Amino acid sequence: MTIYLNDAEAKLVGLDEIIAQCHCRCPQGNHLKAYRHFYDPTEKGELQEELDAIAALIALLNTTPGVAIDAQRLLSQLRELRGTLHGVESERLLDETEFFELKKAIAIFNQLADLKALIAAAKVRLVVLDEAERLLDPAGTGAQGFHIYTAYSAKLGQIRKNKRELEFKLESSSGTTRQELLKKRNFINAEEDEEEERVRRELGISLLHWMPELRTNLEACGWLDFRLARAELALKWQAQKPELLSADEPAEITDAWHPLVKAALQKSGADFTPHSIRLEKGAAIITGANMGGKSVALQTCFLTLALTQLAYFPPCQVLKTPLYDFLSFAAGESGDFNLGLSSFGMEAIRLRDDFHRSQLKRGLVVMDEPCRGTNPSEATAIIQALCQAYALSQSSLLMATHYKVAPGQGLRFYRIKGIRQAGLEGLRSVSGLKDTELIRQIQQLMDFHLEEVDGSHPHPSAAIQIAALLGMDIELIQAMQKLWQEEKWQK
Amino acid sequence: MRAYVTNKDEVLEGGLTSPSLFLQKAHLEGLRSLALVGLSKNAGKTTCLNHLIRTWQKSGISRPLGITSIGRDGEEEDVVNGQPKPRIFIYAGTYLATAKSSLSRCDALLDILALTGIRTNFGEVVICKALSDGYVELAGPSQAADLFDCEHLLREQDPDLFFVVDGALSRRAQAGGGITQSIILAVGAETSANPDELAEVTAHALSLLNIPALDAIIAVRIQDLLKNQPAIRVVAFPQAIEEAAQSLALPSLVGQAKVIVGVLEGNPGTLMLRGALTDTLCKSLLAEKRFRNLTLAVEDGTRLFISPGILRKLNHQGIQLAAFYPLSVQMVCLNPFKADGTPADRTALLNALGHITTIPVEDFGPTPL
Repeated sequence: MTIYLNDAEAKLVGLDEIIAQCHCRCPQGNHLKAYRHFYDPTEKGELQEELDAIAALIALLNTTPGVAIDAQRLLSQLRELRGTLHGVESERLLDETEFFELKKAIAIFNQLADLKALIAAAKVRLVVLDEAERLLDPAGTGAQGFHIYTAYSAKLGQIRKNKRELEFKLESSSGTTRQELLKKRNFINAEEDEEEERVRRELGISLLHWMPELRTNLEACGWLDFRLARAELALKWQAQKPELLSADEPAEITDAWHPLVKAALQKSGADFTPHSIRLEKGAAIITGANMGGKSVALQTCFLTLALTQLAYFPPCQVLKTPLYDFLSFAAGESGDFNLGLSSFGMEAIRLRDDFHRSQLKRGLVVMDEPCRGTNPSEATAIIQALCQAYALSQSSLLMATHYKVAPGQGLRFYRIKGIRQAGLEGLRSVSGLKDTELIRQIQQLMDFHLEEVDGSHPHPSAAIQIAALLGMDIELIQAMQKLWQEEKWQK
Repeated sequence: MRAYVTNKDEVLEGGLTSPSLFLQKAHLEGLRSLALVGLSKNAGKTTCLNHLIRTWQKSGISRPLGITSIGRDGEEEDVVNGQPKPRIFIYAGTYLATAKSSLSRCDALLDILALTGIRTNFGEVVICKALSDGYVELAGPSQAADLFDCEHLLREQDPDLFFVVDGALSRRAQAGGGITQSIILAVGAETSANPDELAEVTAHALSLLNIPALDAIIAVRIQDLLKNQPAIRVVAFPQAIEEAAQSLALPSLVGQAKVIVGVLEGNPGTLMLRGALTDTLCKSLLAEKRFRNLTLAVEDGTRLFISPGILRKLNHQGIQLAAFYPLSVQMVCLNPFKADGTPADRTALLNALGHITTIPVEDFGPTPL
């Protein structure tokens, strides 16, 4: 099971951009990051271990930050070694650069293994490979480079000695003697190549002995890197370790924020209002005025839960959650003009699939204003039926909608508080602002807090008010208000 | 201007200059980096490099050489015409940056020191140090940014090394500007066996390579702009340089004359173009009335692909050329042989070349190995 969201939805939620903020240093760490393993309920133990390791690393980084710099400097020098290791295993003749790669990797493993506190915190195991290190540095000089050392073969030593002597003679030779010497040099070069090849083959076979340890160490470096990168990200966000609950318990998200939206707001001098919500089995419905931040609230809640199941510390103060079999975020399909497919057709397929999944497994389905383009009376019926069906399921539905949903068992209601009326008068008196600045000012009047309400609460309305604030024609506004009052009276 | 005159002691049999005077003639000792560029194929670039390596070794200078090439060089046969080519012979202690597949064609014992992550058609570029004397094949990166990285990695081994880049003029131009601070220009009878013709072509090449440095204050401001927006290809500075510059980020300069002229509205004093400045582009720019009386800056002289006629027109319209990275041409080396081995009149060529420049013009002859 996994996370269901299409490219457009992934962009909306910002998952890719957020994961890109986790900086792995070595290819092995980057592979793990790119794989995005989703820990399902059967892997609760593994996820717990992963989160514990990140927490231990955070504690270590808080006390000795220098250790991460040392480790990351070493990790950044590790290369993608799959081809070389496969070459050793398949007994392919390796070239000098591949031996150099292995020599360097072994030196990195041995140096990382010395960072004992870090290795213990990261809960990885690195095997010290002293003997393999000696094999690739036969003279024990500690030199970082690699070539086919004379120490590997007495014959090679003799060939190179002959070559040096010959080159000495070449320096002062000319004419036919020189030509003869050059011919001889070619012959010695061929001998040297042949002997080097024999040594390379032998070296490769000798390295076979350490293949299991080499593979273990590379994997360990990947995990060390990935865990360290997530610990750094958690520190940057000041994120807390999530608490994993049993399957029948509700998820509780306290003071969650969306890192991308928060950063964008901070740039314009505004603050992000954190969100708190409790998600039980059944449906949770968020209502709120236009511009109230319903979508951001949904994205934030989804993000915290998705990141938790991807083994990241979520951006919130407290998160307690069971593990879901799947997570889905449906932002409302926009159709596909290229394929000539209608919006509602695409949306109906998504509703169908999510519902089908929710009946088979325990998932969290997040829907941002489903049926927004459907006629309101039919849409209301669809939404009501969906909420009622999810209310009876083992899954959780978190939905933002403008349509009225009648209260019932298994349904919880949240409302975004909306416009602070007290500030409106001040805004009305301001004139001459640019449209974008006006929108920003209205946003500043919004109270984005989520509050739990019962289902009989009045439906939030602020669309006409906002249109008026944005300078729509006064007669048009009056007509809108009149019609709106008439409809309310009829209801 | 001076006539080609050689000291009697420096002249070898057949009118050649003693290769032992190579460093002295080219004044290389205090330099940090040098590129060997040829006006054409078979201009004698590799021979020139071999002379440099050999005399550097014999001179006992403690700074090591760090050599690479733009593209491939030092192979036994010319990949284009199949003719045998001089190979590159290095001495123990020389550092080099060359592609992985070239390593098997090197017979010097090489200690692998770093893998650069820079990919070429011949494999990843590897940093090595020669532990014995021997022949090597050079196949370096083809982009300026990668060459900078190679230089950086070579200097990690020895910060004082003399960084030498072997690369044809055309390849160097493609790579981008600012790769080295100085140049040795190799010219050959392959370009023309006629002394006057060769001298004319060389004089034009030298006038482009030697364009003066851009005003230092403007150069710093361009550097600041590029730091934040590396994709910028066009920058225009107003006459009053404290005023804001206009810039354009373009994928290439080709066919962009109209767009470039757009930034000239403010009547700028300096226009910087990052990319190859060709006759076609210059003609389009010259057709615009606003393209007059300004300094036209390029990265360095190797980015100029303009004919003498266009250069004259630019001068006539008050356009002064300037280089963001000024180059110093240290020497002109002559190869008096054509690609098929036909000899030209060495003395006449040397004399003709000596008349067009004060830079030393030499023929050191072939290298012994």
